[in-house]
Amino acid sequence: MDVKKPASQENLNGDESESQISHLALDIGGSLIKVVYFLRSNGSGGSVDDSGKKSDPVLEGRLHFAKFETSKINDCLEFIRSKNLHLAGFRHHDASASDKTLIKATGGGAYKFADLIKEKLGVVLDKEDEMDCLVTGANFLLKAVHQEAFTYVDGQKEFVQIDQNDLYPYLLVNIGSGVSMIKVDGDGKFERISGTSVGGGTFWGLGRLLTNCKSFDELLELSHQGNNRVIDMLVGDIYGGSEYSKIGLTSTNIASSFGKAISDNKELKDYKPEDVARSLLRMISNNIGQISYLNALRFGLKRIFFAGFFIRGHAYTMDTISVAVSFWSKGDAKAMFLRHEGFLGALGAFVSYENHGLGGLKTHQSVQQFAVSKTYAGKKICCLVNEDLNDNESIDFGVAFAA
Amino acid sequence: MHRSGSRPQLDLSKAAIQGNFEVKDPTILLPNQSDDISHLALDIGGSLIKLVYFSRHEDQSIDDKRKKTIKERLGISNGNRRSYPILGGRLHFVKFETTKISECLDFIHSKQLHRGGGGAYKFADLFKERLGVSLDKEDEMDCLVAGANFLLKAIRHEAFTHMEGQKEFVQIDTNDLFPYLLVNIGSGVSMIKVDGDGKFERVSGTNVGGGTYWGLGRLLTKCKSFDELLELSQRGDNGTIDMLVGDIYGGMDYSKIGLSASTIASSFGKTISDKKELADYRPEDISLSLLRMISYNIGQISYLNALRFGLKRIFFGGFFIRGHAYTMDTISFAVQFWSKGEAQAMFLRHEGFLGALGAFMSYEKHGLDDLMVHQLVERFPMGAPYTGGRIHGPPLGDLNEKASEARVCLLLLEMPLPLSNTVYIANYLN
Repeated sequence: MDVKKPASQENLNGDESESQISHLALDIGGSLIKVVYFLRSNGSGGSVDDSGKKSDPVLEGRLHFAKFETSKINDCLEFIRSKNLHLAGFRHHDASASDKTLIKATGGGAYKFADLIKEKLGVVLDKEDEMDCLVTGANFLLKAVHQEAFTYVDGQKEFVQIDQNDLYPYLLVNIGSGVSMIKVDGDGKFERISGTSVGGGTFWGLGRLLTNCKSFDELLELSHQGNNRVIDMLVGDIYGGSEYSKIGLTSTNIASSFGKAISDNKELKDYKPEDVARSLLRMISNNIGQISYLNALRFGLKRIFFAGFFIRGHAYTMDTISVAVSFWSKGDAKAMFLRHEGFLGALGAFVSYENHGLGGLKTHQSVQQFAVSKTYAGKKICCLVNEDLNDNESIDFGVAFAA
Repeated sequence: MHRSGSRPQLDLSKAAIQGNFEVKDPTILLPNQSDDISHLALDIGGSLIKLVYFSRHEDQSIDDKRKKTIKERLGISNGNRRSYPILGGRLHFVKFETTKISECLDFIHSKQLHRGGGGAYKFADLFKERLGVSLDKEDEMDCLVAGANFLLKAIRHEAFTHMEGQKEFVQIDTNDLFPYLLVNIGSGVSMIKVDGDGKFERVSGTNVGGGTYWGLGRLLTKCKSFDELLELSQRGDNGTIDMLVGDIYGGMDYSKIGLSASTIASSFGKTISDKKELADYRPEDISLSLLRMISYNIGQISYLNALRFGLKRIFFGGFFIRGHAYTMDTISFAVQFWSKGEAQAMFLRHEGFLGALGAFMSYEKHGLDDLMVHQLVERFPMGAPYTGGRIHGPPLGDLNEKASEARVCLLLLEMPLPLSNTVYIANYLN
């Protein structure tokens, strides 16, 4: 099979010392755009030449991650342009030089902004199905990246050892603007079984209306100092005595979120935004935990992986979700989180490049191995997570090209 | 508490709803109830008082006399007089606003519902004290379930579905009633699996309930009451507030996973925009988005629990619904959506009276005798009342000591009287 040169090799001007660029993938969601791009390290590994006969041609480098608000898509496009990321991509083997470059993209925005991106960057988006990408991304992370999944119990983060042979089935709960719940049975084998419209967008939206926060992160920050008992009606508030234990509740369980705010002595401005933020976070996290568990139960799934940018490694959020899953399942099910939580879709889109003849994704030092696709059954993919992580938790990586 | 051998029995056989199907909270005919039932049940909520009492047909004579007098005065002939059966009577369901408790007491007085022993009833004693006896939550559910079971088994044209504005009565096969799921939507939500008479288990619930709708609604719209908030929603358009699938997918459906462009992807997802603030949104739209978000959520969790226990029927009750057509439609839509048409949401005509009705019928169970006061009172802590910022004192002692001479089953669900009403009653009755 012919080796396909990455388009970048033909388009790069000059400077040898610059990292070469291959592969950019986008996940354009309702609220956020997630970007994954691969930067090749200098002078590393084998190089690809026209003959493509090298036995083990591997481009080594790193996967980088970035995100932008969808409402600020132009900032994102500018970022891409400034780093020449849009020059990456590939062409179909029968494409001519004048054809537009294709970039992998997923999420609703791949449709919604296709025209805009073509106009501004001169690239055509190669659309991949959102659910497909989420699952591919999740499977990739769980199998190939060391220390990706972890539980969060009693304030303690504990990495989970994933047994490759015992990964499926599991429930993937992606908490973006809205929530999708996907039963994953194998590589490429999944079904979106449920979801809820009460998700990250709800937290951010209601939070903005109630507190005037300028950003999601600000809202999360606020919730740190909040006390939800001011606003939430607890079981102990409604029912005195201890009889509610008969029905499995404790006095501090929330009976009604925002139930105390009905009081007509107080108005919105009389409540502290910290308390409002906390109640909101609790309400939404709890709810997601509960519905996730009910769906896991329905299909006999014991492991629930939570992904998406709602969580962002926020302790209280993970704690609430973990407690909710534990409460509703009476300890039977476990909530787990992923380090690259919000980038599943973009990663999945990125991985799907290799379906187009660009070879498997491989590292030089394998920790865990897994086959990416049927086409490349022999090719392995694995990578190391660099322990010294920058903000974007880049992943050391190798890209192998089919020989 | 002892059972009295001379206690009147409650015969609920051949119970039937009187009147046409559109009447709210219609009376229920109990044709075989021969004994006089002199107790009544009161359910005093934060905004409404529900009263259930029984009147025998032969006691109509008092009313008839009055009617006769009026008719005579007005010159209306007293022509064909309907003859009432000597046996039997009716269950009546009456509502009062909690702020108008004096009207309720007037009513009780005028209908002489407090008859039985002594004549003087001592509500005053009860209300003079500050409320605070602990609630036995199980008893509250006991009443809810007892009330629901009675209505479902004994009454035709009680249960109905409500979809897209259409109300349709459901025929319940009494031999096939159990088990079912009873979802009570109050401040919070309880989901109760009912397996038989007196056999039930609270299997689940959610903290996103009526209190959430009202609480968030109040913060976001400054509505003065729950009804006002509901009213607003009728003129709302959630498209300005909710992020729909089409908003994410550029106007398209995400048909691969069965979501149409108009499906809500993220409730309140559009309000993340930093171009607008709370004041820029219409309260009608906010109220509708809230109502939908909460109703859909309850419908979803209810269905998942019904599925879990293999329950085919889900009955929704509680103050959140209060016969509001759009709310019922929304819950129905959610259940239908999540169950892919397999399950149906159902409602009860007397749903606001489940508790009072259950309490009414349960006096036997609780062994009331001459002791007559049985109550389930919710304790209300300082500063966290349902209806207003009143402070309530320490729990009462055993209220049974202050037994009224009238037979009263007093059921106080969820919210006690504001203190001001309490004081008012005391004055009124003195």
